[in-house]
Amino acid sequence: MSKAISIVQELEAAALSPYQAVMRTLKETGKEAIGCFPIYTPEELIYAAGMIPVGMWGGDTELKLADRYLQTFCCSIMRSNIEYSMMGAYDMLKAVIIPTFCDTLKCICENWKVSAPHIPVIPMAYPQNRRIEAGFVYMTEELERVRGELETISGKPITEAMLEEAFAVYEAYRSAMREFVKVAVEHPETINAKSRHLIIKAGYFSDKKAYTDKIRMLTEALKEESVKPFHGIKVVATGLIAEPPALLDIFVKNNVAIAADDLAQESRQFRTLSRSDGSVIERLSWRVVDQQGCTFLYEVEKTRGQMLIEQVKETGSKGVVIFMMKFCDPEEFDYPVYKEELEQAGIPVLYLETEQQMDSFAQIQTRVQSFAEMLA
Amino acid sequence: MDDDKKLTSKEFLNQLVAKHYEGALQAKAEGKPVVWATSICPQELLETMDLATVYPENHAAAIGARKGALDFIENAEGRGYSSDNCSYARVNLGYADIQKAEAQDIPMPDLLFCCSNICNTVIKWYENLAKTLQIPLIMFDMPFNHTYEVPAHSVKYMKGQIEYAIGQLEAFTKKRFDYDKFGEVMELSNATCEWWKKATDWAKVIPSPLNGFDMFNYMAMIVCMRGNADGHRLFKMWHDELEAKAKAGLGPWSSAEEKYRVMWDGIACWPHLSTTFKALKKYGINMVTSTYPDSWNVRYEKNDLAGMAKAYSSNYANRNLDYDEDNVVRLVKDFKLDGIVYHSNRSCKLMDFRQYEIQRRVEAATGIPSVVFDGDQTDPRAFSEAQYETRIQALVEMMEENKEARRKG
Amino acid sequence: MYLGIDIGSTSTKAALIDGNGSLAAQKVVNIGTGTNGLDLVLAELFQAADVTMEDVEYTVATGYGRLLCAVADKQITEISCHAKGVSYLVRGTGTIIDIGGQDSKVIRLDPQGRVMNFAMNEKCAAGTGRFLEVMGRVLGCSLDELSELAGASTREVQISSVCTVFAESEVISQLSMGTRREDVAKGALVSIAKRVAGLCKRVGVEPRVVMTGGVALNKNMVAAMSRELNEDVQAAPYTQAVGAIGAALFALEAAGKKENSNA
Repeated sequence: MSKAISIVQELEAAALSPYQAVMRTLKETGKEAIGCFPIYTPEELIYAAGMIPVGMWGGDTELKLADRYLQTFCCSIMRSNIEYSMMGAYDMLKAVIIPTFCDTLKCICENWKVSAPHIPVIPMAYPQNRRIEAGFVYMTEELERVRGELETISGKPITEAMLEEAFAVYEAYRSAMREFVKVAVEHPETINAKSRHLIIKAGYFSDKKAYTDKIRMLTEALKEESVKPFHGIKVVATGLIAEPPALLDIFVKNNVAIAADDLAQESRQFRTLSRSDGSVIERLSWRVVDQQGCTFLYEVEKTRGQMLIEQVKETGSKGVVIFMMKFCDPEEFDYPVYKEELEQAGIPVLYLETEQQMDSFAQIQTRVQSFAEMLA
Repeated sequence: MDDDKKLTSKEFLNQLVAKHYEGALQAKAEGKPVVWATSICPQELLETMDLATVYPENHAAAIGARKGALDFIENAEGRGYSSDNCSYARVNLGYADIQKAEAQDIPMPDLLFCCSNICNTVIKWYENLAKTLQIPLIMFDMPFNHTYEVPAHSVKYMKGQIEYAIGQLEAFTKKRFDYDKFGEVMELSNATCEWWKKATDWAKVIPSPLNGFDMFNYMAMIVCMRGNADGHRLFKMWHDELEAKAKAGLGPWSSAEEKYRVMWDGIACWPHLSTTFKALKKYGINMVTSTYPDSWNVRYEKNDLAGMAKAYSSNYANRNLDYDEDNVVRLVKDFKLDGIVYHSNRSCKLMDFRQYEIQRRVEAATGIPSVVFDGDQTDPRAFSEAQYETRIQALVEMMEENKEARRKG
Repeated sequence: MYLGIDIGSTSTKAALIDGNGSLAAQKVVNIGTGTNGLDLVLAELFQAADVTMEDVEYTVATGYGRLLCAVADKQITEISCHAKGVSYLVRGTGTIIDIGGQDSKVIRLDPQGRVMNFAMNEKCAAGTGRFLEVMGRVLGCSLDELSELAGASTREVQISSVCTVFAESEVISQLSMGTRREDVAKGALVSIAKRVAGLCKRVGVEPRVVMTGGVALNKNMVAAMSRELNEDVQAAPYTQAVGAIGAALFALEAAGKKENSNA
């Protein structure tokens, strides 16, 4: 077995068993964990506080308890998270950070206070008007507030030195991820659509420092492998999240590889370069200011369509696959706008409506296969 | 002044609705800029700048009530909007494409003015309008208040945005912002809101002189006319009428008696307005209040920008569960409610996803019964008359049982 | 001979194309995937063409049951097969509408008859054959009778609910108010046509518009679709077997390629 494949398998295993992966990370590091809801949370602050940020992007659990709080037309990631909170699956968390990026998240933040009263919630508002001064100042103040709440939870102050160190760890992580996705394009046989997703996802359940080392090793190992000709189709993926994993099995089966992504759970976390001036809190704020083409951050120019077109060109992809999380208002509102831009650019799109609890993949199988047939 | 005596507030309301839309269409025809704005936005700035403004939410509701929504909804869905998105947005985005409505035409905008205190959905909706129509957008982001009170740093952020918006408006109109006039508009807006609140408070009397479905009609005007003299006159007039009716002991309807008093949670089902109204009236149920009277009771001291910022962030939809619970419990007591009808409105996730918990808490705190029904504010396809009827009947049975128990002591 | 098999959720279809690319036979049986429908339809098909399985050189399967079809050399989706079949049967087709039992789809073709774009209904059953079944059940009639009923309608009843469950209760309350069954049946057809027209708008409508699948046998449905789209809509010949015919044409092509590569 090649070195690359053994790292891939290890990361895949972690992503497929998040609970075990988190428990192992906590045991190995001796640290405590803070849950991080989508879309963005200041993980650096948590890391600086000596704790492990854990990603909370739902999962395929049967929804029974969550109906106490949520109607069925609520985004399935949020229904899953509430379900897990009520099942006790998150009891290892010392607290959760819930940012209010959309109307559903605002309600989830409130419901959490009742659905899991034993796990304190740190609510957080990211400014939408983040490009004006008042918004920037508000962002820094929110971050300082969250810093204070984390200090209370950990019982220790978070010093500037600790923040600098954590920021450096995350900068290394982000740069390693950018490098990985670039190299992975050349190796779709080793890093197929499903592996790519799981490898990136594994980072949510690991200590970022150790995870970054593995990603670097994997990238180096890939570089050493010879580039084999790929007979499938390359696409760019967009949306909130490319799940459930069984969905990606269909991509693998039909030889469709993801050459680049604009997924909230994946590249949106690490694609934006940081500024180097100012305090760490300011640098964290700039990262939010500078993030582009993300539906959860107000952007009157709406650059997403153009960004996708460029990604398609850069990677030589044949089309764009939209993973539309059903009932995700912001993502659904962006779609008609970038769809039109893609169509005008002559780029085929495949629209897949997904939920975390999917019982039948027959129609998706037909759509993916038809898309592949159409592009072949 | 003689005219005033003959004119009822309802007639005046209808005149004002016509005047509002005609005025905006006229402004457009004269080459003046037109603004589209969200329903609880700092309209004081627009009024000060004398900008003709229409409110897409009002317009969508009017189209819905006149049963014309589907054409616009189908247009928007045809272009990729999901049927799960807010139907006000779908109607308006459809209208922005078709630009013609049998129910009511509005002029196309030159400027957009959006405030997220009512939801984050309007951010996406207005972003899309700005991109499609290629026009400027002034955005007010009012962060959700997850604490009981509005936090100080949020107020500062919102005040900063109001100041920034004034600069944007000066750039857009190429005119200086008149702070003296601004002060007057603030004063007038506060006075109008006070009459709105005092008028709707008459429903506390038993029987209520106010039929709550009328409140839905007047609501359109508190959205678009808080900052001008017409609006002020209308709500004072309405208030005086309700006061007279209350003092004469008159109830909401001449043809029936008020037997039960309920609160309606959420927006009306505009396409099924008469169906939803009649099913209530049949049992003598009067909707005496909702969370809306307070949502437009936007009050602050004249010339206090921070106070204004705070007032605009303080509406029900932008508050946390504890606040909302206290608010509804207070309504139950103040308005002596027998029950609550919760509209699980497919369009409004922000209200829906707290509704179950609010319902449980209010029931625990007050002991009054309630029902939830499925519907939508403007999409006629998401409502079942049979389901609504059954649930209302169930509510009546529960309210009757309560009354019976009270009679028995 | 080249065989195309289309295993749908409620019916199984098969077609044979000869070496010259002519349609030799086509058959439909009204039972779908997971049944013995395939054996039945093949028996009928072979009898009609007077051939046996031995004469078949290449087989392509399509439809929901395609991946479980053991006799197939290749599986191709119904999107591609409908496109292939319709371009063969009706020259100059720009848009195909197929209202199936589980899925409804709209396929846009380029002038060469290749798939340019397609859209399918989401999870919800509104706008699919399933909706008609539910309506038929409420009205106590079969799908064929539903069409006949609709033909006798004098006043169209609006069924506005999107949700099939809601629509069912809407129809029941209409009937209890004394609305004629004929008018309700018509309302059901129009309701589907509206949903599918919405799907059409997602990919754009280009004439000619051709309908395929069992629902296209329903003349009143085709007419309703035409009215909603404000375009002429025609039912494809062999409307139920279009997918199977397309599959058989793909079989012919695939066999040709195989021979070329062998030579």
